[in-house]
Amino acid sequence: MDFLKIEDEVKFSHKMFILKREIEQFLCEEGYRNIEPSIYENYDEFTGINFRVDKKSSVKLLENSGNIFILSPDITTGIVNKLMPRWELGLTLKIFYYGKTYINNGIGIKENRQMGVELIGEKNNNTDESVLSIAIKTMKKYSNQYLFEIGNSKFLKGIMQACSFNNYDYKNILNLLYSKNKQELKEYLSKISYKEPMSTLINIFDLEGSLDEILQNLKGLYINDLMQQGIDELCTLDKSLNGNTHKIIYDLSMVSELSYYDGIIFRGYIDGSNKVIIKGGRYDSFTEQYGYKIPAIGFSIELDELIKTIYEEEMTI
Amino acid sequence: MSLTVAIPKGRLGNQTIDMFKSAGIGETIDEDSRKLIFEDKKNDIVFMLLKNSDVITYVENGVADIGISGKDMVMEKNADIYELYKMNIGRCKMSVAGIKGKRIFKDDTILNVATKFPEIAKKYFSVKGQKIKIIKLNGSIELAPILGLSDVIVDLVETGNTLKANGLEIFDDMYDINAMIISNKISYKFKREKIKETIEIIRAEDEKNDKNN
Repeated sequence: MDFLKIEDEVKFSHKMFILKREIEQFLCEEGYRNIEPSIYENYDEFTGINFRVDKKSSVKLLENSGNIFILSPDITTGIVNKLMPRWELGLTLKIFYYGKTYINNGIGIKENRQMGVELIGEKNNNTDESVLSIAIKTMKKYSNQYLFEIGNSKFLKGIMQACSFNNYDYKNILNLLYSKNKQELKEYLSKISYKEPMSTLINIFDLEGSLDEILQNLKGLYINDLMQQGIDELCTLDKSLNGNTHKIIYDLSMVSELSYYDGIIFRGYIDGSNKVIIKGGRYDSFTEQYGYKIPAIGFSIELDELIKTIYEEEMTI
Repeated sequence: MSLTVAIPKGRLGNQTIDMFKSAGIGETIDEDSRKLIFEDKKNDIVFMLLKNSDVITYVENGVADIGISGKDMVMEKNADIYELYKMNIGRCKMSVAGIKGKRIFKDDTILNVATKFPEIAKKYFSVKGQKIKIIKLNGSIELAPILGLSDVIVDLVETGNTLKANGLEIFDDMYDINAMIISNKISYKFKREKIKETIEIIRAEDEKNDKNN
């Protein structure tokens, strides 16, 4: 058996370099500018603004003065934290970055190469579409076996707020949504005092597929303003993406691991790869913690996974 | 794009295979053969026969698109998968059991729990606020309290006959266990229609069997 040789390692590294450069070039052409993210963050500050960060898996550093830092597990949080405190109203920023995220996976420290795009300070009818289409174009460059999944966190938020679950129920229900466990969700809800929005919650797993299918299945179900807003945003997006042969499915039960998404959320997959290659969404309410709500949307590309997929396709030729 | 289905070897798997065959799927499967992979070209499905505890691993890593696994394994592994359908077969309970009549633990010490399912046991007792020490065993769990290895056991109980025969009784029923159809999350995006069709077939068989019983 042959293991990795120096020659192969350099070859792979160079391939990664080329891939990175290609995407950077493309993003420059699309009018985005590069910023370099910091690899470490202040621990308290970081967990303070992004409370869903897994404290166990983050890699901590102890500085001489006694302050604790972490190697960044999420680059967007770091960027927002750097820019927002001195944000100038009226500014529009189109930026991209290359960076590494770090998590402790139980065996050791795992490095993850990421590239990301953020559009901060602009929100009109085309903003969501323009960012999403950059994600789609990037994916298309490297595979035609791709698929994008789009949801809107406002829809679920609308239901959950209207049901006003306590923390314990909220967490359990989220987990059932996360595993698309329809029967157990039904059982669980039957034990809680009935509220009208639950009628939609029980049927939420039927709200996936094409937007037409979803709208069809939505008929007769409970809906409130926030939920409607989520659907309207998806309809606008769908219309502007239409005419392209993009492979897109919608899923209104989409739950995001990151708490800061607020609006459109999307993920990109490549057939044959078992990981999410692109993930992103709108995170306006995340910026709100700094005093004013600045519209913001972005996504990140998992380079390690992307390059593996491209490599595999080459090997099979 | 064919669908890959992971089936556990043993009783649960045999029951599932019967259900598929009754619906005209997987007729090529021969449980007595040493082969582990069977292709149903007509329906474009590939079946893999695996050890029951490995089904989740294959599904989570995307080698199999969907699989049949007990809820016990799903809970124990806490894997990142979809739990799409709870089947009517493989029914039993996850229970706490111990020596008959010795169900009261009032001293503030650590309860010794022998089990094949450490994660399930940890979760259950932490909610109850009971401190425990897990003793991980791989079989004949019932022996542990009798031989003084543990205070209680956490195990699957179907009829309770094994417990009774060994002088044990159920102290608490923890969870209802069923067989589940699980799915890889990304396979589900690409093969949603086919996966839903397959589940629908199993659901119809479930219903048919229910009527017959």
